[in-house]
Amino acid sequence: MSDRNGRGGESDGAGAANTLTLDGMEVSFEPGETLYEIAERHGKMVPTLCYDERLEPFGGCRLCIVELEGSRNPVASCTHRAEPGMVVRTHTAHLETHRRTLMEMVASENREVDVDPLSGYASQEMATLVDRYDARTGRFAGHRSGVSRPDDDNPFILRDYENCISCYRCVRVCAEQEGDYAISVKNRGFETRITVEFDGLLKDSACTFCGQCIQTCPTGALADLKALANRDIPGETEKTRTICPYCGVGCSVDVMTRGDTIVGVQPAMDGPANEGALCVKGQFAFDFVQHPDRLKTPFVRGDDGELRPATWDEALDRAADGLGNVVRKHGRHAVYGVASGRAPHEAAYMMQRFMRAGLGTHNIDNCSRA
Amino acid sequence: MAGSATNEELLARWRDEPAPLLPLLHAFHDRDGFLSEDALRHVADGLRIPLADLYGTVTFYHHFAREPGGRGESRVCVGPVCRQRGAETLAHALEARGERVARMPCPGRCDEPVPVLRGDLVVTGPDAEHLSNGPTPLPAPPASTAADPRSGGFEECVFRHIRDPGRATLEGYRATGGYAALELALAAGPGDVIDTLDASGLAGRGGAGFPTGRKWRAVAEADGGAKTVVCNADEGEPGCFKDRVLMDHDPFATLEGMTLAAYATGATLGFIYLRYEYPETIGILEDAIADATDAGLLGASILGRDGFDFRIHVRRGAGAYICGEETSLLNSLEGKHPFPRNRPPFPVTHGYLGRPTVVNNVETLCSVPPIVRKGAEWYRGLGLGDHSGTKVISLSGDVRRPGNYEVPLGLPLRTLLHDWAGGPSEGRAVRAVTMAGLSGGFIAGDDLDAVTLDEPSVRSRGSFLGAGGIMVFDDSRDMVDVSHSAMEFFAEESCGKCFPCRIGTQRLTERLNGGGPRDLAEWLDEVTDLEATMKSTSACGLGQAAPLVTESLRRYFPEQIERHLTERRPDE
Repeated sequence: MSDRNGRGGESDGAGAANTLTLDGMEVSFEPGETLYEIAERHGKMVPTLCYDERLEPFGGCRLCIVELEGSRNPVASCTHRAEPGMVVRTHTAHLETHRRTLMEMVASENREVDVDPLSGYASQEMATLVDRYDARTGRFAGHRSGVSRPDDDNPFILRDYENCISCYRCVRVCAEQEGDYAISVKNRGFETRITVEFDGLLKDSACTFCGQCIQTCPTGALADLKALANRDIPGETEKTRTICPYCGVGCSVDVMTRGDTIVGVQPAMDGPANEGALCVKGQFAFDFVQHPDRLKTPFVRGDDGELRPATWDEALDRAADGLGNVVRKHGRHAVYGVASGRAPHEAAYMMQRFMRAGLGTHNIDNCSRA
Repeated sequence: MAGSATNEELLARWRDEPAPLLPLLHAFHDRDGFLSEDALRHVADGLRIPLADLYGTVTFYHHFAREPGGRGESRVCVGPVCRQRGAETLAHALEARGERVARMPCPGRCDEPVPVLRGDLVVTGPDAEHLSNGPTPLPAPPASTAADPRSGGFEECVFRHIRDPGRATLEGYRATGGYAALELALAAGPGDVIDTLDASGLAGRGGAGFPTGRKWRAVAEADGGAKTVVCNADEGEPGCFKDRVLMDHDPFATLEGMTLAAYATGATLGFIYLRYEYPETIGILEDAIADATDAGLLGASILGRDGFDFRIHVRRGAGAYICGEETSLLNSLEGKHPFPRNRPPFPVTHGYLGRPTVVNNVETLCSVPPIVRKGAEWYRGLGLGDHSGTKVISLSGDVRRPGNYEVPLGLPLRTLLHDWAGGPSEGRAVRAVTMAGLSGGFIAGDDLDAVTLDEPSVRSRGSFLGAGGIMVFDDSRDMVDVSHSAMEFFAEESCGKCFPCRIGTQRLTERLNGGGPRDLAEWLDEVTDLEATMKSTSACGLGQAAPLVTESLRRYFPEQIERHLTERRPDE
């Protein structure tokens, strides 16, 4: 919504101070900020289920309601923009009662199961709020809303919609963050179902298996099948912050391990390059690390034509000899360097210095050119 | 053209029109009798809409068929009145005759139960063998006669000329004062029109009751983009059929009202968003638009005034109650998933395509020309006591003379029920009436005699007048059953965006149909908690109003709830 900044700016006229009263305290805000953002900044712990700070606010779960003086009903703080002079309360008895009822309502459409944290980054949000509000499960008993898709046999994404609460985070992250528009919603009301085109399988849809949906899902309804396959490996899950090795973007990831075994990957929401985004490779393609066929030393070809393991010194000497021979025999423009798209800027720079200053040719390119 | 047009021809016809998605989908739907996968792929491609989004949006609408032949099946109304009048019997009879039958929510024909929608015809009749298509019934004449004790000398506003022969033609409309208001307005200036509306006290007649003058002034003063006037003709509230009679018998009144809105606000683009269930009305409106355009009353330089350009496009809905909510309607027009938008901002500044937009109900727009012509004082004087103006009430159910009545605001309900509409049938008493169609829940008991038809009085009883649909239930009716069907309607029409409405309407429906706790105290505990949270936290009027049904059921009929809980079928 392009209008937002403009509107926020207008209210700043005539020297009006951008302050409002939050739980009795006068606080300042930036034009365009939502009440939820301000409350978060002041540690108010306003509960949410449909909120993902990377996405446009949606206003579906209604847990983030706050009381706004002059408004008959509470307002959803995630969608409501701050204006000077507002008087806002975030945790009155009324609000907490409504939040508890809302949690009991949403729990009533959900299968009561413990969701394995390996399911995804946000998978514990629902369970955490059920506990926080001491929601009485079993209240408001009735039909359950989701229909799981065990027929979708893709290797990455579990579609366990019996845990779905229709918060639309997956729909929105797929559109807004990933730009795939693969996930949508069919029907309406209690018959609402998260789906893809023509209700088909993910592999027949626009899905790129980036895994963003499983990481934003607050209930584990969409879950990381590769990580869950490792659920029986004993030990605590440890997370190690590192950089995805696949390409030069440098997405931050948390590699999850148990003992010496990688059990899964989660995107780092605070990763400066990716802000929680990943692609299918960074998200799911980590098997090579512990694969028995993985090369762990350089190989050089013997006189018999067979490859045999070698030391790095041996291999680098062999490569240097080979390049030197070509230049001596055919001239410096007979070589051509292609930098790997997996290398960062610094390494790409070194590569072109190597070709230009070292070998004396402008024959340098990068495989990411396409 | 629809019969043989190619995919490319259909695309070319609509691609560059404003708000193209719905008419393009209808074009494929009409041509093929359903929306095939192939059709959706063409539409997605042609309008650059993600296929998954388009698929999801199509499934949102009740009337888009996804199976061959689905469009032509006979759709039988199972609304609150019709289900009391043998809707199921009729559906079975049609099935027995070999017809493909589907059930549909109230299509706004409660004055002739039980309507059946067959393709582009609404047919009604006493039984399955005698269904025929006829015009929308006119409102009964207001004159007092011996047989019709309706009297009091109340003057009408929007129905004043609707019974005049020829009123639906441009000549007839002009002969009875039509377009005099537009000429007056052009002489006086746009600000004058808004001042007159402000002074008249006219407020939105679609249910929300927002002052019309304030709305138009906000759009007139808003910056940005081409402004738009949208006529909300998505009369989806069960028990409401007033806009249909206004459009069918007085179509130029709607057009003149819209044109006055365009003049007052500076809008150049107009839409009439018409509900799917009024197929005959499309042609009436489109013919009227063509005639008005030919006469220089629409199009470029209206009435010869340079720079006064305004065009109106009819867009047909596809069956979704929520699209009567103005921001859902705007999303629907724009081809988006028809969820309500978060507000603020409001449509007056951020409406169609994010531009300043007037959204007004048909009855509101039809009220404007007489007000401009006869003045604010005249309109204020039509109401009783302090109340300003009139309201059309769609009255149906267990009364002898159902139909549309234009009443002065402030008229006692019992005068309408008993003196004007003849009361219940012999030997029966009125047990309850709904308000605001279904959205206002029930009025019953002593309140039936005490309440007057105006918002302050109705709201003081925990309900609201809203769009003015009143369904009457006599003392033979089971109010728990009526409440169940009402809540089931809300559950089916809940858009699914916000949790309290999506889950709450479902849980209340189950609790009115034998589900939930068996113990009365527990049942009440759950139901009252659901009501409170739905009313306070739902994102739009649907979820906020639906609990009025159970709230009024608890207030007026506690003994029926007890009976329901003791007599319900035991769980297996």
